[in-house]
Amino acid sequence: MAQAYRTPSKVRLLSRPSRLVMWGGVALGMAFFVVFGIAPAVANIAISLTDYSGLAGASTSFTGLDNYTTLFTTQWPGFVASLGDSLYFVIGVTVIQNAIALALAHRLRGTGRTASLLRILVFLPIVLGVTVVGIVWLLIFDPQSGPAQAILGHVGIHSAFFGSGSWAMPLTIMAQVWQNLGFTMIVFLGGLKAIPPEIFEAAAIDGVNGWQRFRRVTWPLMAPVVSVNVTFAVIGSLTTYNMIYILTDGQFGTNTLGILAFNTAFGNTADLGLGASMSVILLLLAIIVALPLVAFLQHRERRLLA
Amino acid sequence: MSTTGYATRPAKPRSAPPRPGFRLRHPRRTFRITTGILIALLFAIPIAYVVMISFESQGQFVRSPLAPPTSPTFSNFSAAWTQGDLGPQVLNTILYAVVAAAISVALSLLIAFPVARRLIRGSTFIYRMFVIGVCIPLPVIPLFIEAQRLDLYNSRIGYILLHVEPGLPLGVILLTAFVLSVPEDLDEAAYLEGCSYLRYLVRIVAPLAWPSIVIAFLYSLLQVWNDIIGPVVFLSDPGLFPVTRGVYNFYGANVSSYTILAAAVVIVSLPVVALFIVSQRQLLRASVIASR
Repeated sequence: MAQAYRTPSKVRLLSRPSRLVMWGGVALGMAFFVVFGIAPAVANIAISLTDYSGLAGASTSFTGLDNYTTLFTTQWPGFVASLGDSLYFVIGVTVIQNAIALALAHRLRGTGRTASLLRILVFLPIVLGVTVVGIVWLLIFDPQSGPAQAILGHVGIHSAFFGSGSWAMPLTIMAQVWQNLGFTMIVFLGGLKAIPPEIFEAAAIDGVNGWQRFRRVTWPLMAPVVSVNVTFAVIGSLTTYNMIYILTDGQFGTNTLGILAFNTAFGNTADLGLGASMSVILLLLAIIVALPLVAFLQHRERRLLA
Repeated sequence: MSTTGYATRPAKPRSAPPRPGFRLRHPRRTFRITTGILIALLFAIPIAYVVMISFESQGQFVRSPLAPPTSPTFSNFSAAWTQGDLGPQVLNTILYAVVAAAISVALSLLIAFPVARRLIRGSTFIYRMFVIGVCIPLPVIPLFIEAQRLDLYNSRIGYILLHVEPGLPLGVILLTAFVLSVPEDLDEAAYLEGCSYLRYLVRIVAPLAWPSIVIAFLYSLLQVWNDIIGPVVFLSDPGLFPVTRGVYNFYGANVSSYTILAAAVVIVSLPVVALFIVSQRQLLRASVIASR
């Protein structure tokens, strides 16, 4: 393999100016990736070791691990609480999103016109975007004029919904799932389509149908796709906070680590250093969660496919 | 140990005969229709509700929040357009999204071709970096500081440059996969004919890769349109705001007139829904490619 790198003989076919253009193109693209992708990721760690506020005139000094020790002391009760909120959000979104998306993919896998129209409809919230979808749900669950209150009022439920400690998180999870179902469904559809139809035909000849067919044939063959979707859902829901920013801004029990880091840096506290330390912890958590999950899912794939 | 034992063993029935109950078409059909309607309602009702109240007068909205408008009015739309200053914001969004996505896709191809053909050292390493880049979100705090230091804060050019990188990982992965499917003999033939690298990329590879390029472009575009944190962090002048921040601020300022807010939401959604109607085939196919 190393040999192939040392003598990229194909390059010799290119003229000298062409080679320069090729390297220039790669250098330009990689410059964007390094300056706006890798450098900020590394800088994040450096910033987390300072008390940088971002405010004009304020001095900045190196504070070592102070930000990290602060987070785990009583000065910052919000941090430890936010870990619980994050866990609630991640489990809720991952389980519900994948379960519903798998059911949708199974129901809408056909080639008919109805199925394809419904697939487009399920995908629509992704295109509408977080801001529009967030406002749609805020309007529906408005405590005064929303239709949800008008309907639930008949069964005696009165709530502030997104302004209520018990309703805000479930509703936020629902809005997040509703917005992203389309993408998860499409990935599942890709997995379903990749199963050779002969397998289903063979199963049908053996009299395997309905739930048994799903349980014994479809599900094991879908294992790789399930692992892709679950991993993306866990990492995605752990690190995202734009839907929460629109809906509750982290209030009423929806203060996940992502929105807390954002508000610590850019809210009234204006503490970029402390915010950066939270986002470093967030990234570490994402990696810690992802690694065993990836290992487990790969193991499960092998077992199911054996 | 005689092998004949197997031959004399009676053949086991491979499967039970199909039960007649499963042959009935009727319950299955009912189930399919019911679930189909449920899915349609689940996704259509929230959107339909907002479209509905955008045509209601404020008085009618307050009186009966669930009923459709008795006399539909367009006044909300003109009110939203002028009060929310939506015109310039729609133009800002289109400018940011189209330019950033175009640069992003062009750079993706410039990286993906040499990487897929292993024309440069460390191709595998570069490719893996982009795979990791798909999963890991950008830290907004250092980007905010960087934007200020590099004079990219609160500027149109800066905002565009900051939104090029998020499209690169998926673009590089999609286009690498595509270039791998183009026979390598084609490159060699072109080089031997004296075709320059850039000319080859633009005239031969790009047209062949057009479906993948469109998909990468659309996803990059959606990412810019979808961003709400970016406009909050990187822009302070309302004249530079894209619609996402504009309509979000409009929500905060207009808690009393939801019908106008709904009209604003409908207006800002129209361009992206129009784009979706034209391109839904590509978008829905894309995720299938990306999942491989």
